[in-house]
Amino acid sequence: MKKYILTEEGRRYLENGLPEKKLLGILPASIEDAKKKIDNFSIALQWAKKNNWIEIKEGIIILKKMPEKIPEEEALEKINKGKNVDDDIILLLLSRHLIEEERETMQKRAEKLAGKEVTFLTEELIKTGQWKNVKFREYNVEVTGKKIYPGKSHPYQKFISEMKKKLLSMGFVECMGPIIDMEFWNFDALFQPQNHPARDWTSTYSMKYPVYGSLPDRKIVNAVRKSHETYWKYKWDEKKAARLMPRAQGTAISARMLPRADVPGKYFAISRCFRPDVLDATHLIEFNQIEGIILDETLTFRNLLGMLEMFAKEIAHAEKVKFYPDYFPFTEPSVQMSAKHPTMGWIEFGGAGIFREELTKPLGIDIPVIAWGLGLDRLAMFALGVKDIRYLFSNDLKWLREVVA
Amino acid sequence: MPKINVSLKDLQSLLGKKITAKQLEDNLLYAKCELDEIDGDILTIDVKDSNRPDLWSCEGIARQLKGYYGLERGLPKFLVSDSKTAVIVDKKVNNVRPKIAAAIVKGLNFTEESIIQMIQLQEKICQTYGRNRKLAAIGVYDMDKISPPIRYTTVKPEGIKFIPLDFKEELTPKEILEKHPKGKEYRHLIDKHSEYPLLIDSNNGVLSMPPIINSDFTGKVTEKTKNVFVEVTGYDIERIKTALNIMVAALADRGGKVFSVEVLYDKEIITPDFSERNIGVDTDYCRKIIGIDFSDSDLSELLKKARLNGTKKGKKIIIKYPAYRSDIMHQRDIIEDIAIAYGYNNMKPEQPRIATIGDSLLEEDFSDKVREIIIGLGFQEIMTYTLTSRENLFKKMNIREEKIAEIENYISINWSVLRSWLLPSCLEFLTNNMHIEYPQKVFEIGDCVAINEKKETKTEDNRKMCCTITDSKISYDEISSVMNAFMKILGINYKLKKSSHGSFLPGRCADIIADKKLVGMVGEIHPSVLNNWDLEKPAAAFEVDIQKIFQIVSSNKKGSAPPPA
Repeated sequence: MKKYILTEEGRRYLENGLPEKKLLGILPASIEDAKKKIDNFSIALQWAKKNNWIEIKEGIIILKKMPEKIPEEEALEKINKGKNVDDDIILLLLSRHLIEEERETMQKRAEKLAGKEVTFLTEELIKTGQWKNVKFREYNVEVTGKKIYPGKSHPYQKFISEMKKKLLSMGFVECMGPIIDMEFWNFDALFQPQNHPARDWTSTYSMKYPVYGSLPDRKIVNAVRKSHETYWKYKWDEKKAARLMPRAQGTAISARMLPRADVPGKYFAISRCFRPDVLDATHLIEFNQIEGIILDETLTFRNLLGMLEMFAKEIAHAEKVKFYPDYFPFTEPSVQMSAKHPTMGWIEFGGAGIFREELTKPLGIDIPVIAWGLGLDRLAMFALGVKDIRYLFSNDLKWLREVVA
Repeated sequence: MPKINVSLKDLQSLLGKKITAKQLEDNLLYAKCELDEIDGDILTIDVKDSNRPDLWSCEGIARQLKGYYGLERGLPKFLVSDSKTAVIVDKKVNNVRPKIAAAIVKGLNFTEESIIQMIQLQEKICQTYGRNRKLAAIGVYDMDKISPPIRYTTVKPEGIKFIPLDFKEELTPKEILEKHPKGKEYRHLIDKHSEYPLLIDSNNGVLSMPPIINSDFTGKVTEKTKNVFVEVTGYDIERIKTALNIMVAALADRGGKVFSVEVLYDKEIITPDFSERNIGVDTDYCRKIIGIDFSDSDLSELLKKARLNGTKKGKKIIIKYPAYRSDIMHQRDIIEDIAIAYGYNNMKPEQPRIATIGDSLLEEDFSDKVREIIIGLGFQEIMTYTLTSRENLFKKMNIREEKIAEIENYISINWSVLRSWLLPSCLEFLTNNMHIEYPQKVFEIGDCVAINEKKETKTEDNRKMCCTITDSKISYDEISSVMNAFMKILGINYKLKKSSHGSFLPGRCADIIADKKLVGMVGEIHPSVLNNWDLEKPAAAFEVDIQKIFQIVSSNKKGSAPPPA
């Protein structure tokens, strides 16, 4: 059975009354006045409010309800006389530091342990100083701690966040676009002809439901039609352009961005893309692209190479990069970049180029736009040293828990 | 992009230069190619440009590389003599397959390798440039077995009989479409017509039934063949003329002499037409786009290296380019050739110096905040696919099917629809990790797709967050506390309203209501759902709509919410 005694503060309150009770005596009063008149005003205000005795209106403290009795006062009196009180009120008074456990009882319990070997260093041992008289059992401190699994972000997500930070610091504005989008933004606005093999049924998905979207502004649609019919020389089909599909390339977002882009402007988007590919160590059923465009009168092909190199060296931490000529219907000149990984060899990061004028002009842009669509998964594999791309969408909780990243 | 096989020896003999496969690895970049694989003498080459069919053969690559090695520079020359041979075009073809272009190449010494290359080029052109023979189909014949003039006409399905290539018996056109493998493969290109295209000589010997099959007699090229007749059929005269030029140029590079053919439509045309094409390039624009201050003579050298000719005219260079190139629409196309000839890897990359202010999407920032909170509550983040199946979304979750976004040509039913919520993805993850230490607490922040007829794409993306706990013993309280902590950290006041949902145990599931809107739900997973996913331990989860929560948090920030107690 524990015994309690009043603390100095408890004793003072027993003699002079609790501050919250004193506060009630001077009401109504402005906060300013009350502050001056009551010692420990903030304690008084806090408890009076908690007990729902007062309310404050426009800086004036008003009495709401006068308590019949104050249990804390009664308990202090009882404890002072050595009588027992309820546990609830004990806890409350302990929390207000108005009472404390009598040292002697604590002392007696602690003394029983003298000379013995104990496992835990308790609060009691510390307070009574009896820790000097006990022996603490030694632990095997060289044993590895028990495994715990804290909350963690996905290593791939961490990589994406860091890359985003870098791009934002370079002045890029983040964009997004719909997962299900029209062929128009996926291909037509990108000057990819409707009979292009990459638009085949086997190369891209099409939707069973919903099937058609609504095309944008007639002005844009007609300009795109004209560009296709003039340069690719075929009859452009509006209905085909309105067909919906899961986004096949992040460039669809850049196409949507172009008509409302600022000049100069830098934009990027991280997007989930979908193509009917077979799952293997380097191909996923879905993949992520990091798409970017920069618009400015002064841009050159060398600037594009500079941006690509930045991705390889500063984001994927590659040491050596190589540029390959490539072909994309929407860029000219076009380029593809690979980087050399110390253990995985050359890895292709994706394509880039300067948007063709046949594409930019219908969307109202008459200056160079450099653009890239890199495989974010590849960049991440490279940076994280993950050989199998499937780990990035890992089903393996053990890997996620233990991976160093 | 087109992949072709090339013999290194053959390439060396076309170039007249000894080079190693190793050297080629770098040098091929100048022909827009990448060396993919080396298997003894056979190189697999990835031709990067799907719009440059002239590069899809050993001959084409050698022609381009000669410029790089300085073995031949400038525009390649092709001499064409007149053969006085005619192809008469019958008007009946107009409704079926209206255009034909043809040429004769004489004095060839075919080898096994050159025949392989010719067939490979023919196939690649028909496949890609010809869109699977629809827009261009090529036939090559032994000219010595043909007696001109040749007629391009049509025939009734049962109107004639001939032996198709690699067959022994004579068949009618109709029988060919039914029995011959090529007939079955390509019949859709003609079988809706009442008559089929036919090439026939003056002795009524059938050359072929374009675009399906050659006759076995004339349409077979062997090492004994010396002179060939080449034709291309299709719809657009420019496209088929380009295809013809590419085939003929390759044969000419093998030492063949090219002869033209008179193609008699209403108006006669002469094919092949190797007269060079012109396009003007603004030299300042070229320097500006590449970012290198080339002198005029630099440009002239680079053009020659790229197998082009240029003549300076004021501020422009008038470029002459070969008649087999169909990719040039704009001066940029020439500028790329100049850049390739200079060598991409010889350029000094330079980061753009343009000052703009970066800005992230508020919604993405909010997702990051959500992520941080949930991680702080002890959960491991997972990332799964957006594609899934109806079975996973509905049947396994014990709920009624709804309209969702569905793919027509899916490659597996497992990835045939776009997910409408995240919990099934999380449960699938748990199923895959039943052997891993418990408790397992995982969460995902991911995009889901919902049907919305009002949107221009008839769908909308919904970002959601789902948190799941599984262990030998779990409680509703536990997940509800996590959810409560999550909402409190965001300063959202919410109410829980008891609800019934097939995926959760009755009496252990509630809707999360905030700002009078349904923002998510919380509950203990129904054992029948656990059974459906083969899960053996109880699980509880909560899923919220991040956009809805974001809206509430944003409007709270505007000052309508009470300060925290």
